[in-house]
Amino acid sequence: MNNRAIARLLQTPAVLLLLVWMLVPLGLTLYFSFLRYVLNSLRKPEWTVPQLSNWRGFGNYEYVLYKSKDFWFAIQNSLFIVGSILVITVVLGLAIAVLVNRSFPGRGIVRVLLISPFFVMPAVNAVLWINMILDPVLGLNGLAVEGINHMVAGLKDFPLLGHFFSLWPELEPISFRATQTSAYAVIMMVAWQWTPFAVLIFMTSLQSEDQQQKEAALLDGASAWSQFIYLTIPHLARPIAIVVMIQSIFHLSLYAEIEIVSRGNGNKNLPYLIGEFTSNNIGAASATGIFAVILANIVAIFLLRMVGKNLVD
Amino acid sequence: MASLTLRNVRKRYEAAEVIHGVDLDIEDGEFVVFVGPSGCGKSTLLRMIAGLEEISDGSISIGETEVNEVAASKRGVAMVFQTYALYPHMTVYKNMAFGLKQAKTPADEIDRRVRAAADILQITDYLDRSPRHLSGGQRQRVAIGRAIVRDPKVFLFDEPLSNLDAALRVQTRLEIARLHERLKTTMIYVTHDQVEAMTLADKIVVLRDGVIEQVGSPIALYEKPQNAFVAQFIGSPKMNFFAASDLSKKASKILKTDLTDDMQIGLRPEHMQVCKAADAVVTGTLELVENLGEVALVHLITDTGASFIAKTEKPPKEAKGEAISFTILPELAHYFDKTSGHRIES
Repeated sequence: MNNRAIARLLQTPAVLLLLVWMLVPLGLTLYFSFLRYVLNSLRKPEWTVPQLSNWRGFGNYEYVLYKSKDFWFAIQNSLFIVGSILVITVVLGLAIAVLVNRSFPGRGIVRVLLISPFFVMPAVNAVLWINMILDPVLGLNGLAVEGINHMVAGLKDFPLLGHFFSLWPELEPISFRATQTSAYAVIMMVAWQWTPFAVLIFMTSLQSEDQQQKEAALLDGASAWSQFIYLTIPHLARPIAIVVMIQSIFHLSLYAEIEIVSRGNGNKNLPYLIGEFTSNNIGAASATGIFAVILANIVAIFLLRMVGKNLVD
Repeated sequence: MASLTLRNVRKRYEAAEVIHGVDLDIEDGEFVVFVGPSGCGKSTLLRMIAGLEEISDGSISIGETEVNEVAASKRGVAMVFQTYALYPHMTVYKNMAFGLKQAKTPADEIDRRVRAAADILQITDYLDRSPRHLSGGQRQRVAIGRAIVRDPKVFLFDEPLSNLDAALRVQTRLEIARLHERLKTTMIYVTHDQVEAMTLADKIVVLRDGVIEQVGSPIALYEKPQNAFVAQFIGSPKMNFFAASDLSKKASKILKTDLTDDMQIGLRPEHMQVCKAADAVVTGTLELVENLGEVALVHLITDTGASFIAKTEKPPKEAKGEAISFTILPELAHYFDKTSGHRIES
């Protein structure tokens, strides 16, 4: 045997393991998605066993696409959550990174503190936010609104100007577990947790920025804003692409935050929908899973194009 | 176009003072070269003129106006950086147009000026390329072009050739000289290379440790260096220094000067002539010969242990370890005070 053959041979177990690791779950999911397969059925006990005689064809797909009311909502909501988080983390991340890139006393401590949200577990993050910050009664949200209302009420007794304050509407704290608002709660807490990640990546990249270019721009009469737009942002194009790609991959599969905030009330994404189906209808869950794979691939193609273009430059 | 006046200019970083009161007058259209060893403050001085460093004390005026408190972009200066500092994400055209665009110049005016500058520098063919697809020399020209389009009163060059290879350096040096000829704008050029200084300058400013050692035309600095530092800095290979005891007994007579012990005698390698032992000013044992073809650099050491170099047309016939004697025309010898280093007129 020559060296190449030996190398191939030695690689084989690893490659095989990876193949099995990927193909078996994918194959099983594909198989289940064509079966009538439920965990619990008193009327049709034969459906509780995955077997070929329960073949349903594309029935599960039809059910997911047309009968279940949540599928299209989940896709829309997935993209909405991911998109919002990306915009918030990139904009905030840029702003904070530029801010802490200057030297000031205590910069080291500030940087460590900035990174720390990233070390909080997602479920803990969600519990902290929904109970201690966003709760309309006990959280900061409730306390702040109560405080403002209290202050306005006090000012109503003020001579002359008091009339103006009596026109002030009484504020109501927002309930972030509600159908209309639960998605925003998830966006807020995940953006809080992932902004440090963006800051970290942007900060390291900012340190490699050429100072002479900035001085040249200064002599060319460029304002700080022009320097930021024409020099800093293009310099950060690659790290921005990387932050967008990595975060898209992670946030398409959000689960813990959605579960803890509202148990999917008004706020589902595809993984959460799959989770709901899994409580009984494995066939439908598998079909949704296949849709999730397709969606992830579409997003991945767009991202790789974008990042790839940046990496080639 | 404008003259430039520096009065008692100082630069302090916290406690440390790096520029110790510089006074300098630069006339309109002059090509001035700041030269000195690294860390002498020449770049700092240039950056203070550009407005990139604050002036701790004293004043800098461009034309009649003091510019201490004027923003860098409003001083009417343009700078060419050592690393070129081109904007990497813009084409050559946009690089050159950037400053004008920031100044809200009309588009047709920008186009006219960029194309005119590109024409002078022969970079019209690259206008649509991005800087990373250009060679070092081409980038350097774009950097110069970016300075030209702004039509500045003063051009500042910060070691512009140090990132180029030797052949390109000579060529670009010529182009900068030609550019000055053509534009007749005041130019200030910083370098540590005395050859660049000698070839380009109308006026050389030699700096050491934040102090001006001497200001003058290249030839004045070469012929009448005001102190031992300038004498050694200008000229290559550098001037040999001897104590009176290193020279022969007849040296005083040949040089027509009373040589004393508190004196340093400076003899340039290219002025030393081989002679008979009886007529020698200095005699040395041959250590090493560097034959450059057109000339040979002969390294020698005197009996008293002073090593020196002589530049001869042909390599000497003597073998290593043998003695060679040299003489020099009396008017070509330089004398400096041993402690202060100041020139002593003979």
